[in-house]
Amino acid sequence: MSKEFNAFAMAQKQFDDVAEILNLDEATKDLLRNPLREYHFSISVKMDDGTSKVFRGFRCQHNDARGPGKGGIRFHPQETVDTVRALSMWMTWKCAVVDIPLGGSKGGVICDPHNLSEREQEQICRGWVRQIARDIGPLQDVPAPDVMTNAQHMLWMLDEYEAIHGAKYPGMITGKPVGMGGSLGRTEATGYGVIFTVREALKEMNIKPADTTAAFQGFGNVAQYAIKLYNQLGGKVICVSSWDQADSTSYTFKKADGVNVDELLSITDRFGGIDKEKAKALGYEVLDGDKWIEQEVDILIPAALENQITKDNVNKIHSKVKMIAEGANGPTTPEADEIIKERGIFMIPDFLANAGGVTCSYFEQVQCNMNYFWEKDEVFGKLDVKMTSAYLDVSKLAREKNLYMRDAAYVISINKVAQASKDRGWI
Amino acid sequence: MNKKITFDRNLMYKHSSFNFIGNDEPGGKASSLILMKDTIDAAFKDNKYDDIIVDIPNMTVILTDIFDIFMKENNLYKIALSDQSDDIIANEFQKASLPAFIDGDLYSLISKTYKPLAIRSSSLFEDKMFEPLAGIFETKMIPNNQFDTKTRFNKLVEAIKFVYASTFFGNSKNYFKAIKKDIKKEKMAVVIQEIVGEKYGDRFYPTISGVARSYNFYPTGKSKPEGGVVSLALGLGKSIVDGGKVWSYSPEFPASPPPFNSTNDMLKMTQTEFWAVNMGNISEYDPIKETEYLEKYTLKEAEEDKIIRNLCSTYDIQSDRIYSGISGYGPRVINFAPILKTKVISFNELVKKILKISEEKFKTQVEIEFAMVYDPENNNPARFGFLQVRPMVVSNKLVDVHIEDYEQDEIFINSNHVMGNGINDTIKDIVFIKPNDFRAEYTQAMAMEIDEINSSLIDKDIDYLLIGFGRWGTSDPWLGIPVVWNQISGAKIIVESSLPDMNPDYSQGSHFFHNITSFGIFYFSCKNTQKIKIDWNWLLQQKIINEKKYVQHVRLSSPLKIMLDGRNGIGVALK
Repeated sequence: MSKEFNAFAMAQKQFDDVAEILNLDEATKDLLRNPLREYHFSISVKMDDGTSKVFRGFRCQHNDARGPGKGGIRFHPQETVDTVRALSMWMTWKCAVVDIPLGGSKGGVICDPHNLSEREQEQICRGWVRQIARDIGPLQDVPAPDVMTNAQHMLWMLDEYEAIHGAKYPGMITGKPVGMGGSLGRTEATGYGVIFTVREALKEMNIKPADTTAAFQGFGNVAQYAIKLYNQLGGKVICVSSWDQADSTSYTFKKADGVNVDELLSITDRFGGIDKEKAKALGYEVLDGDKWIEQEVDILIPAALENQITKDNVNKIHSKVKMIAEGANGPTTPEADEIIKERGIFMIPDFLANAGGVTCSYFEQVQCNMNYFWEKDEVFGKLDVKMTSAYLDVSKLAREKNLYMRDAAYVISINKVAQASKDRGWI
Repeated sequence: MNKKITFDRNLMYKHSSFNFIGNDEPGGKASSLILMKDTIDAAFKDNKYDDIIVDIPNMTVILTDIFDIFMKENNLYKIALSDQSDDIIANEFQKASLPAFIDGDLYSLISKTYKPLAIRSSSLFEDKMFEPLAGIFETKMIPNNQFDTKTRFNKLVEAIKFVYASTFFGNSKNYFKAIKKDIKKEKMAVVIQEIVGEKYGDRFYPTISGVARSYNFYPTGKSKPEGGVVSLALGLGKSIVDGGKVWSYSPEFPASPPPFNSTNDMLKMTQTEFWAVNMGNISEYDPIKETEYLEKYTLKEAEEDKIIRNLCSTYDIQSDRIYSGISGYGPRVINFAPILKTKVISFNELVKKILKISEEKFKTQVEIEFAMVYDPENNNPARFGFLQVRPMVVSNKLVDVHIEDYEQDEIFINSNHVMGNGINDTIKDIVFIKPNDFRAEYTQAMAMEIDEINSSLIDKDIDYLLIGFGRWGTSDPWLGIPVVWNQISGAKIIVESSLPDMNPDYSQGSHFFHNITSFGIFYFSCKNTQKIKIDWNWLLQQKIINEKKYVQHVRLSSPLKIMLDGRNGIGVALK
């Protein structure tokens, strides 16, 4: 993360604004604007070349008043404890807004997996768990995959944890592969969740999905499944953007008749990069990466990275755009957010729109604790009900109190966590 | 009711509401109910007829676009169109997932509904005139009484997938082959409908189920074809649609019993068991079985439920007479006498009215299905649930048949109880149950043999005449040959003969019967009590093409000339 952007400062600012609306007392503010606990530790790894190297690891447990902590583990060379703090706080709000009985956590290791062998990565995973094995677990804090970590990393961590504790604890970690304690539907959950909220918002606007068009930024897991479900509802996606590793830039792939997700997937690499020559051959117009935001569509869905809608490009948003649904975490900067608010574009904020992922992780944990796994329909049925009901609560509050959707979502979440902390007698 | 109301999970639906999930077609069954809803509401102020509540039960329809997505997303067409068994196809469908965007609607629906549900097929081709697929696809009934929403949701989803799978069962595939339609063009909507009935211990069932037709192909006594006919059963309508033992009467003469030969006949040929939804423990988990949650119960159990007082009479062995009600000891006879003769409730008038308004709406003769709760003993309000309506095909072509005009040795078959109207002079192939080898205990084996011959004749595109004993299409093997429609789908003329110890009432199994009339199949009923003729000696001398243990296939050197006068119910097949 760049020095000028401090995620934790931004998260605290967002919290302070809502604390003001809620008129929270000082003690509550003090409790909620900082993590409850932080673990900073060193992980010593014997490298493949025989040398030893020490990696810096973290786990921040922002708040667990509503239940065990939940949050991913990031492997990133520019990882900072402030980023991890901010993300743990956002996890608290995300779990609260969809009303799942979990708190917010986040962890990370400063490392670059691109430069590490599998064995070295395994040692980092096992080392991370050895340092924190007493403070995480199915009843305390449940990690999950995040930036540059995957199901394999989760299995190594689970294995180490079970070796330390001498028993099987499949609910200790989520994001495991299906058949090894993973939940059906987890892959689709975040993207589908985004569209469940879009569908409900369109209903409130009295617009049929089949009468709408959308532009997506990103063509990773979230965007792919979101497009699929949006198409099933009748909506038409006219462009997607994706990162081109070879050119180190992104491109927007446009087809006015509507992009075909299966067609694009057939020319997409495993990182979500679309082959631009093959795309042209299939009749796609290949535009600059930032063109997705300028399209004449009803819905914009940023589903790639943070800080994508900024004060520099927010005014390029077409006047026809009625709604933005944030599939990614933090894609809109506060300055851009103000302009979107002024323009009256309906916003479905990230920690509501993309909460399908954590909700399904929660389902995975529940299934693991029961050691009984659900059919996909059951997962999606429950996911839809959770997401829809969360959306309706937020939108109702926004209407009643004349709040921006993001603020309404924060009000609901922070209120729930503050209340849980009070009920426990912490404040 | 033109606008399709989208299902809204945030609403609690009131009585008799229709709503829809998806954007495409509702299919034949749902369409006809949609067509009738306003008519029913207009005809019955406050949905009442005297003290009877009259309505179409609440229903949610999953439209055909959901089926399309389900099939495509799960890549099911390959297995669906294969020659795999029904069970394998059903299993593959169970493993597939519904479109994610309807799971939430279904979860919400089931979280607010605790009544038993019928999950019914409503296909594009089904129930439309000239394209009758009545009874070809499956219906699944679920008790929906489990404590947790999750289990009820899973049962609902299993049932929907089962109905979807039934689109491609062997029964359906053969049927499409016989009617020369492309099964790939079939699309299935699903109707989720509350079952009309009440719970008695671990059973849930309606007091009366019925099928009423505004045209009677088999009028008896004083009744006329235009007077219609009603078949009634205690419990779920499965007894009727499967062609089981039921009570049939003319709405013009509700007090006249069907033409039984004797009291003993009446005791044997009326209902002794009934179907209900099993609300208790099921014997085995089997999501691919239609009757997973259905059970047959005896009249004794219905009597314990205090339900049959108004439905039955009692046989008095001393006087060899039948008395209305249950005042004495003796076998109970489900003849609905208190309702039809004593008229404790305006039931028959209501049925007549509904037939009339349905006919007016469809501008043709109709068949309706209904279920009723009439249970004053348990203080349940009377309720008439209108479940289904289909147009009937009644030909008006003028054909005069005078048996006396023909020499006796010219006649192969004649009957004064036929169904259909017109002339056929193309049939050379005859498939028949060998009369000398017929035993009621082997009727299931006979059905298998007919199925084989039917398949080979369909493959060669050969139409044939079929002769058998007892009631065709019955689910009770002791009443006749228990074939399902696709097993005889190549037959263009069907002859139902009888034997002294197998002499059931005419075929009235709802779905079977509807298919016969709609496809314009000629139907001869040749009961041994009537002046009929089948020239067996001549038949047995014809060239044998295929001979099995119980069934024989012969081919004539020249085609038969078959003539049916539908107005007078007279028919003849000339050699």
